[in-house]
Amino acid sequence: MNNFSMLMSGFAVLFTFQNIAATVFGAILGLLVGAMPGIGSLAGVALLLPLTFKFNPTTAIIMLGALYYANMYGGAFSSILIGIPGDGPAVMTMIDGFPMATKKGRPGQALLTSNLSSFIGGTIGMIILTFMGPLLAEFGLKFGPAEMTALLLVAMTSIGWLVGENPTKGIILTAFGILLASMGMDTLSGYPRYDFGSIYLLGGIPFVPFVIGVVGFSQVIRLMGERHHETKLIVDKLSIKSSMITLHDLRRLLPPAIRSGFLGTFVGVLPGAGATTAAFMGYAVQKSFKSEEPLGSGAIEGIAAPEAANNAAAAGAFAPLLALGIPGSGTGAVLLGGLMMWGLNPGPLLFTNSPEFAWGLIASLFLANLITLMISWGVIPFLVKILSVPTRLMIPVITVVCIVGSYSTSNSMYGVLIMFASGVLGYILSETGYNTAPAVLSFVLAPLLESNMRKAFIISQGSLKIFVEKPISLVFILILLITICFPLIRVALVKLGWMKKKGAV
Amino acid sequence: MKKNFFVAFVLLVALVLPLSAQGSSESSGAFAPSKDIEWFVTSSPGGGSDIYTRAIVDIMNKYNLVNGKTFLVMNKTDGGGEVGRLQVSRVAAGNNANHTLLTFNSGDHAPMIQNTANRIENFTPIAVMAVDKQLLFVGEHAKYKDWAEVLAAIKAGKNIVIAGSKGDDIATYELLVKELGVTQNQVSFITNDATSDAITSVLGGHVDIVMSKPAAADQYVAAGKLTPILALANSRFSGNLASAPTLSETGPYKNVENPIWRGVVGPKAMSPEAAAFWSNAFKAVSESAEWKANYIDKYKLVPEFKDKDAAKAYMQEFEKTTLKALGK
Repeated sequence: MNNFSMLMSGFAVLFTFQNIAATVFGAILGLLVGAMPGIGSLAGVALLLPLTFKFNPTTAIIMLGALYYANMYGGAFSSILIGIPGDGPAVMTMIDGFPMATKKGRPGQALLTSNLSSFIGGTIGMIILTFMGPLLAEFGLKFGPAEMTALLLVAMTSIGWLVGENPTKGIILTAFGILLASMGMDTLSGYPRYDFGSIYLLGGIPFVPFVIGVVGFSQVIRLMGERHHETKLIVDKLSIKSSMITLHDLRRLLPPAIRSGFLGTFVGVLPGAGATTAAFMGYAVQKSFKSEEPLGSGAIEGIAAPEAANNAAAAGAFAPLLALGIPGSGTGAVLLGGLMMWGLNPGPLLFTNSPEFAWGLIASLFLANLITLMISWGVIPFLVKILSVPTRLMIPVITVVCIVGSYSTSNSMYGVLIMFASGVLGYILSETGYNTAPAVLSFVLAPLLESNMRKAFIISQGSLKIFVEKPISLVFILILLITICFPLIRVALVKLGWMKKKGAV
Repeated sequence: MKKNFFVAFVLLVALVLPLSAQGSSESSGAFAPSKDIEWFVTSSPGGGSDIYTRAIVDIMNKYNLVNGKTFLVMNKTDGGGEVGRLQVSRVAAGNNANHTLLTFNSGDHAPMIQNTANRIENFTPIAVMAVDKQLLFVGEHAKYKDWAEVLAAIKAGKNIVIAGSKGDDIATYELLVKELGVTQNQVSFITNDATSDAITSVLGGHVDIVMSKPAAADQYVAAGKLTPILALANSRFSGNLASAPTLSETGPYKNVENPIWRGVVGPKAMSPEAAAFWSNAFKAVSESAEWKANYIDKYKLVPEFKDKDAAKAYMQEFEKTTLKALGK
């Protein structure tokens, strides 16, 4: 219970007018930043950092923590409403969120589902962080290159759940994503790879413009073909009530949200794996559980799983940051830079040397979580109104959003070019029956897998034994083998009559 | 909805204010900044170069060294930083060239000449501000307790793995391997995106040895999680890093030192007057108490100011040796 009293003392630090105001301000800003595609929490925190030097460190980090946290909520808004993920983690939310808002005509409910799941996932993550922070951080350390490689291999196989009806097309796009991700500088030696002599390509294909293009701008092109259609959805009542979800919806939402909450926290702690990976794994895990409607058609479960996972991961990422001074993500690294600028030394001594600071930050996450939920709940009716804007007006607006988002990732037109090119590519692919999700996911996972696998091989001098000698990686390798072999085994079991035949997965 | 308008209004004001502040005050003779200064940094916000840049910006603002103008720090990371470097080198002569700066250190310089045809002659060196050096550390659970044990293991034919960051660390590692007279297979190196990642792998016991600059390892040494075992320098470090010997103390070797300098350059087209102005401004920063307390001492760097002419000679020499090492 010691940690609990520490947390309470953290709340005592928090409950000054100044700090609460900082939390609210950070939360609002985080929502805005998160909702704007391309401007993720990294840019948000980095932009705000210089402003906070005038504050005392506790207030400053509380504000940045709230911003970082609320950002995870905001990312889902544009995903659900206009089909453009606001940031990496929101890609998965889009798969079910966008259909639920448009095809099913339940935009308010989709947003609320996303907010509630974020809240549940985040709360689980924070509770785990409060009571097991340092332990969690130590556990994250156990994941070296070999363990990460095994885990990522398991994650890669679960792309199989996403390929849809045509496995060949799915595999082609998975391979295509890997190929695209390998452009740029070699992750270990720094030698140029597939740069075709262009210094722009030397840095590889940037993730955010690529995703905005493939997923978002391809939508715009599709919309151009439908611009004369009448907007089907007319939202006449602007009230919170009309976006309430039913008790039945809530029951569907809870299990995946809770499951993802735990999973996400765990993924967030791992070195190098961020909220995007967590959201993806949350969604993939949901595929193996039962959903009332098929995933991808606008299922509540499909929104709850990734949203809860990414918020939990954001909380989990604080464990190594606070307990060991290791940033789990790019945003973590910027926060870390901030800590150092305020004269605090992040690292194993932070909890001992500056307890009021560390616990104040954790307490502020709880408060930010609650405040963000309330604010975003309140703005849902206004946001939903976006859907009743005629398509022909939406096209230029979304295009501008796409351009701004892809420009701002590296302040250059290169991002915009990549966005347009991947948009056209994404459009052609989806028109010809290819599902682009596998490409996006392998694009995220491949670089992580590559660098970890190569590091593992350097450590083991090229021997494969390293993957079975370490207990954690052995477990994942076994899971991997079972996942791969299960379809074959099932056929055998069904033939022997030991297992009932199941419908197509 | 009122809130939205308010936010929009604040944003609008924030965007417009700098524009109206850009009154032109052309003066002849000695150069003084007459508009906002674009300062390019080719790594991400929060990284080492970014912290270095923003530390200087703070001091310049505090002492009003830039005629009340504003610095716009631009993090341009495309193409591993090459795009930003190329863009700065190509700024055309004129007022823009005199108001453009680029954070430039050996970790930028080496990849630039290795991967592209861009050379230091396309820039105007302005200053070198400080020098950083590395050490080797072992983690709590490492197989080895000190450098002598590592050397013994190498002699016994065991394989050693060192984790470190990119750029400078690789160059230092190559010097070390060469001096030890072993192959890169026997003592291998794992490149991480940042030193913090390398430290993570050592804390988890996945790798035995990590190469780091003092700043990144400081807290872990204080907490007993990392122990310095070898100073990659010509003399020992001070403070809690003093226990680490230099290479020549441990056997028949020469010391390995690969100073990592942190500097600033401008575009080639920058006028000599502007270059002189900037060189003086950076000199003032390097002499300030804040620079010493908030940067040099805090991150345990070696202060080493070189003005524009000395910096030019230094960077040219660096380029020559690096090119030679690359066989170009």
